[in-house]
Amino acid sequence: MIELSNVSFAYEKQTVFRDLSLKIEKGQKVGIVGESGCGKSTLLSLIAGLYSPTSGKVCVDGEIDPERISRKVSVVMQSPMLLPLTIWENITMGHDYPKERVLKVCEDVNLKKWIDALPDGLQTYLGDHADELSGGQAQRIAIARAMCKDAEILLLDEPTSALDKENNAFVLDALERYVTEKTVVHVTHRPEQLRGYDRVLFMQAGGLK
Amino acid sequence: MQVLIDLLKRNRFWVLGAVAATLLSNLSQMFYTVCVGDLVNKIESRSFIGLPFLGLLGILIISNAATQFLNQYVGRYAAEKMAHSLRVGYARRLLWKATQDGKSCDTASAMSIAQNEIANAGAYLGNQFFDIAGMLFMGILVSVFLFIQNVFLTIVIIVPTVMILAYSMFSGRVLSDSAAAALEEKEHMNKVAYAACHAFSSIKIFDGEELCKNAYEIKLTEWEKSAKRMGRRYALYNTLSGIMSRVPLLLLLAVGAYMVLDGQMLLGTLIVFLNLQKSLTQAIMNMPSWLAGFKVFTTNLSRVEMM
Repeated sequence: MIELSNVSFAYEKQTVFRDLSLKIEKGQKVGIVGESGCGKSTLLSLIAGLYSPTSGKVCVDGEIDPERISRKVSVVMQSPMLLPLTIWENITMGHDYPKERVLKVCEDVNLKKWIDALPDGLQTYLGDHADELSGGQAQRIAIARAMCKDAEILLLDEPTSALDKENNAFVLDALERYVTEKTVVHVTHRPEQLRGYDRVLFMQAGGLK
Repeated sequence: MQVLIDLLKRNRFWVLGAVAATLLSNLSQMFYTVCVGDLVNKIESRSFIGLPFLGLLGILIISNAATQFLNQYVGRYAAEKMAHSLRVGYARRLLWKATQDGKSCDTASAMSIAQNEIANAGAYLGNQFFDIAGMLFMGILVSVFLFIQNVFLTIVIIVPTVMILAYSMFSGRVLSDSAAAALEEKEHMNKVAYAACHAFSSIKIFDGEELCKNAYEIKLTEWEKSAKRMGRRYALYNTLSGIMSRVPLLLLLAVGAYMVLDGQMLLGTLIVFLNLQKSLTQAIMNMPSWLAGFKVFTTNLSRVEMM
C-alpha cells in the first residue's frame, strides 16, 4: 500500500504541493494526469523514495525511510537512463539474477529477437553504441530492468512520451502484460493511456482531484 | 589552388619582391659562409689576406643583415597584402553574387560562415608561407652547393637525416596511436561517471551503486595503464629521437675532421659544411610538416572558393 499523509514539498523556495494526501491500495492501478510542470514527476519521486517530503509522511508498504522505500519499487522513467555497460548489466544492475529470468523478461518486452541477432548477445557493450539504439529499444531495456527487479510497486513516469507511434505501442503492450498483479502509479499527460485503470487523478495547483 | 594563383597574380609586385628578397638573403648568407671558410683556409695555409678580401667580408656581413631585414619586411608585407586580398576579395565576390542573384546580401553573416577558413588561410599566409618558401629554397640551394663542394660529405649529412625522418614518422604514428588509446580510455571512464550522475535515480532505485563503482574502477585502471604506457613510449621514443638528432652533425665532424687531417679537404671547407648543414637537415626534417601545412592551407582556400 502507498500512503501520503499531509505531504508538502518545495524545491528551495518554490512550493510544489502542500498538504497532499493520497492512499493507494495493493494491486490498484492509479493514473495521474496534469499539465507539464504541475508536480507529477515530483510526486512520483517522493513515492519512489528519491526525495524526502518537506513535511508530512510518505509510507510505502510499511516503510517510511526513503532508502528502504527505493527497494520496494521499480521505476520506468521518460528517459531510459542506460549505462555505458553491457545489455546484461543494464538489465540486472549488477545483481545475480538467473539467466532464465533475464531471458524471459527480454522475451516479454520483445527484445529477444534483436538481442539474439547481436554477435555478443546480452554481453553486447552499449557504451559506444548507445546512440544507435532506437528510443523503443532503449525504453524496453529500461522496462526489462524494472521487470527483472519484480518489485510489487511499479511507478511509470511518462514512459512513452519520447517515443513514436510504433514504439509507443510496443512499450505499452509490454507494460500491459507485466502489470496485471502489480500496484501501479502511472504519470502521463495522455489520459487515453489510462484505459482500464482503477482511478485517474488530476493534478493541478499542487493538489490532486 | 586557383585562389592562390589569383592572390599571387593580384599582388605580383610584392610577391616578386618577396621572392627576390628571399633569394638575395639566402645567397648573401651562403656567400658569407663561403667567405668565412675561405678566410679560415687562408689562415691555415698562411696565405696573404688582402684588404679587398676583408672589405668583401665586411660588405657581406652588412648585406647579410640588410637582406635579412629586407626579406622579413618585404615577405611579411607581401603576406599581409595577400591575406587582405583574400578577405576583401571574398567580400566583393559575395556582393557581386548577391547582385547577380537579386537577393539581399548580409556580408557580415556570409563572412562569418567562412571566417575559420579565411582566418586560417590568412594566418598561414602571414606567418608561414614565405618563411617556408625561403627555407625550402635555401635547402635546395645549400644541397646543390654542398654536392658541388664534396659529394661524399653531403651524403654523410643526408643519409642519417633521411633515416631520422623515417624514424620520426614511425615514432610519430606510434605515439599518436598511444595518445588516442589513452584518450579513448579516458572518454570511457568519463562516460561511466557522467552516466552515474545522469542515471542517479535509476541507480538508486535498482541498487546499482556497486555496479557503477566497479565499472568506474575498471575504467579508471584501464585509463591509468594506457596513460602510463603512453608516458613510457613518449620517454623512450623522444629520448631516442634526441640522441639520433645529433648523429648527422657528429658524423659530419668525425668524417670531415678525418678528411681534413688526411689532407683531402681544407678546414675552411669543413667549416662551410658545419655552418650550412643545418639548412639542409632542417629542410629534410620539416618537409612532411610543411607539406601537411600547405595541404591544410589549400584545403581552406578551396573551401573559401566553394562558398
